[in-house]
Amino acid sequence: MSAFDTFADRVSIVAEKVDDNKYLSVVKNTFTVLMPFIIVGSFATLGNSLLTSETTGLAQFSALQFLTVLEPAFTAINFATMNTMTLAVIVILGWILGERNNENGIMCAVVSLSAYIAVVPQGVETMVDGVESLASGLPVATLNAGGLFIGMFLTIITVDFFCKLNKIEKLQIKMPPSVPSAISKSFSVLIPIFITLFVIAIAGRLFELATGLYINEALYQFLQAPLEGILQHPAGIIGLVIISQVFWLVGIHGGLVISPIRNPILIAALAANIAAFEAGQTPGQVITMGSWVTFLVVGGAGLILSLNIALLLFSKKDDLRAVAKIGLVPSLFGISEPVVFGLPLVLNPIFAIPFVLGSGIPAAIVLVANQWGFLGSNIVDVPFGLPIIIGAFLGWGINGVILQVILIALGVLIYLPFVFLSNRTMSADA
Amino acid sequence: MRIMLACAAGMSTSILVAKMEAAAKEQGKDYKIWAIDQSMIERELGNFDVLLLGPQVQHTMRKVKKIINGTVPVAVIKAVDYGRGNGAAVLKHAEELIEGGQA
Repeated sequence: MSAFDTFADRVSIVAEKVDDNKYLSVVKNTFTVLMPFIIVGSFATLGNSLLTSETTGLAQFSALQFLTVLEPAFTAINFATMNTMTLAVIVILGWILGERNNENGIMCAVVSLSAYIAVVPQGVETMVDGVESLASGLPVATLNAGGLFIGMFLTIITVDFFCKLNKIEKLQIKMPPSVPSAISKSFSVLIPIFITLFVIAIAGRLFELATGLYINEALYQFLQAPLEGILQHPAGIIGLVIISQVFWLVGIHGGLVISPIRNPILIAALAANIAAFEAGQTPGQVITMGSWVTFLVVGGAGLILSLNIALLLFSKKDDLRAVAKIGLVPSLFGISEPVVFGLPLVLNPIFAIPFVLGSGIPAAIVLVANQWGFLGSNIVDVPFGLPIIIGAFLGWGINGVILQVILIALGVLIYLPFVFLSNRTMSADA
Repeated sequence: MRIMLACAAGMSTSILVAKMEAAAKEQGKDYKIWAIDQSMIERELGNFDVLLLGPQVQHTMRKVKKIINGTVPVAVIKAVDYGRGNGAAVLKHAEELIEGGQA
């Protein structure tokens, strides 16, 4: 047991460090704020394909053809949420981090936004009569999910730098007490904003001179794109699921711990799918936030629905069956805690293997099903908390439902040998 | 008495809230019991008399203690009570914390 305890201690310390890390925790909270906009944006795309499209939507019927006039509005909603999410992330993150630094949140948000716009290209290459020219405007790549990582990094650097400057008394322009406080507040941050923006913009320019790339292009190419690739790769995504399960094994919410890394990348994947769909191409990122909640942790992290079914069908232990009964309905909604803590699965030597390693199998199957062309990449976000079948149908249609049922059944088979083992070995009060 | 529970997203904990409310009603007690996401604790400061953390967010205890700053008692719910939805036991735990004046 003591080896198990040491292991639990070490994992808990990692979880605590991640949770305590200022930057990881503000990034996590940023994406919690952003989530409803992502869902709305993806539903706008769904609205286009179900209603206004003349090939797939209701508008294909001549009586309803007038619906096509709404298409630009739906596309605009998607553009305003998904395709410009980097701007929203910068504002939210700048605000939250600023408040966390005990500074004026909105001021930090605006400084971050200015700093970001100051280092990205401010022109769009266009072809006019066969001649390349530069029109003013921000390239979509700086606004959409492609700018997420540089946007987050730059916001963190900007806000921390700005807040440090703000704390220096000598940099504050003091107004006489008779000046209204709103005005004197704007003046007191004038020099810190001046320094922050000049430093960031000049650093950005020097980077561009040195490398020939804008910093957003470089960061996307050398950091964000590889990370995105890793999570679409079997080893990467299976590894991440297993890491999350290791936290669960010691009773810590694994999804919560990995969310600062997972959420930005998998939300970017959904955005890429939607962008591809809107451009008339086939979406190619099968691992998204939606497929995580629908398939990778089907029935609750650790395939809990499958475990409940296996226990109810084959367990001879009354107390285990009782827990499975309590946990059954929550697990239909992807909630695993009643079983994780009630059975308990925490540090449970018998169920640890399927609970941790078995959870990698759905990820592998999703990737294979995608390769075979059975499962497409979703463009409609599937939020956590939807019951099984419904979530799968929303994101992937009938094929999604079939795959989900297969994964649940497979989960039952994975747990079965261990349920039989528990019949023989686990004591009645386990 | 105002009992606040916190977990990740407040979903699984709200199952326990229902069980605790039932137990309180059975004992003829008029308590306010609710669940929130653990990131929202700071905003609820002053609205609760005791805070119980779901075991899955026990790693946030040190941070939460800093936020609470000794104003009210806070504890992690016993894992098995949490999992099996033993509302009466968790309710008793909350009452003991308040009586214990751990603040």
